[in-house]
Amino acid sequence: MVSDEILRTHLQELRRGTVVVASLVALRRPDYGYALLQRLSDHGFPVDANTLYPLLRRLEEQGLVTSEWNTEERRPRKFYQTSEEGESVLGRLLADLAAVQTSLTGLIEGADR
Amino acid sequence: MTSLTDRYLAATLRSVPVARREEIATELRASIEDMVEGRTTGGQDGTAAEREVLTELGDPARLAARYSDRRLQLIGPTYYLAWERLLKLLLSFVPATAGVIVGLLAATDGENAGGAVGEGIATALTVALQIAFWVTLVFAVLERTRTPLHLPDWSVDQLPEGPGDRQITLTDTAASIGFLAIFIAYLPMQHFRSFVPADGDGNLPILDPALWSFWLPFLIAVLVATVGLEIAKYRAGRWTWPLVGANAVLDLAFAVPVVWLMSTDRLLNPDLVARFEWLGEGENLNTVATIVVAGSALIVLWDVVESVVKTLRDRR
Repeated sequence: MVSDEILRTHLQELRRGTVVVASLVALRRPDYGYALLQRLSDHGFPVDANTLYPLLRRLEEQGLVTSEWNTEERRPRKFYQTSEEGESVLGRLLADLAAVQTSLTGLIEGADR
Repeated sequence: MTSLTDRYLAATLRSVPVARREEIATELRASIEDMVEGRTTGGQDGTAAEREVLTELGDPARLAARYSDRRLQLIGPTYYLAWERLLKLLLSFVPATAGVIVGLLAATDGENAGGAVGEGIATALTVALQIAFWVTLVFAVLERTRTPLHLPDWSVDQLPEGPGDRQITLTDTAASIGFLAIFIAYLPMQHFRSFVPADGDGNLPILDPALWSFWLPFLIAVLVATVGLEIAKYRAGRWTWPLVGANAVLDLAFAVPVVWLMSTDRLLNPDLVARFEWLGEGENLNTVATIVVAGSALIVLWDVVESVVKTLRDRR
């Protein structure tokens, strides 16, 4: 039986890149850090806060999301939204994710034969 | 807000670039407050919730590093192998060389043998530490500045030669030459710096000073020629019959004079022999001579047989 530790590292590696994809999809609708965290976690993407907040900044620097301060509410919040550029990158990422799934399915079926 | 969050923010922002500090502060504070609020609406106590949230966010230095995309490693995979190889290369000979040079200088400077050896070892250790420190520092700086090194890509040509391709390894050759160098250095050294104090000033040479007229220079020349043989052997990569022959000649050229001088009581300094009463008693000097003769014969025989065996093994 493989140890939990090994399993956890493999799962972590598998999940690592999907956080970016999930964030870009979720931010098609503008949202602020904590709300995004909740939304991702509700949809089965549990992300650590200390990973997500710096990630949002990095995506902003890369021009994949834009941001806007909302000062109308009780506390000022920075809302992020997937940019046009982010959308085109997301398109590539989703296509690649689908390709991985297709290849994997083909491999699984091929291995059965 | 309470001071715990303030302190957490201060600790995080300390190592975030100034230009973005204020913005990150406002955003992070709002995020923390959101997270705390998320917990207190669930009925949790405010102070406990704050502690939990900050614990979840973790070490402020780590969070700050993530914000500024800073690396949390001294030397990462990009530079690690270059660092390791350079360090190994430098440590393999620089400290030893520096130690030997300083030791020899100290010895000729009139210090006693123990002091000279000690000084050599201390120098070698200091040099090794300095090399390790500076090489590591430079690579750590490269890691932080992400300077590309433009090292040539690895190619199959860099593969070390397999055991079948090369019989004589660089390590063997280096060790042999190192040993020969020490031996060559020892012959003049023992004349000035033996461990045996003379009656008056200075030291008693171990070997008969009369030998300097011919035999000691001859033996040194043989040893130097042996260094040449080691180099030729390395370049050939394996034992060959001419090398076996040259090796046997050089072995004999060294051993025969030593054996002959020893058995005619001309090798050791007569003053030294007189100094140790035990050597003068009965057959003791002859026993020593016999040991030297037998030992030399054994070493020569071993060396010649080994070279022949290795040559034959390679033929197959």
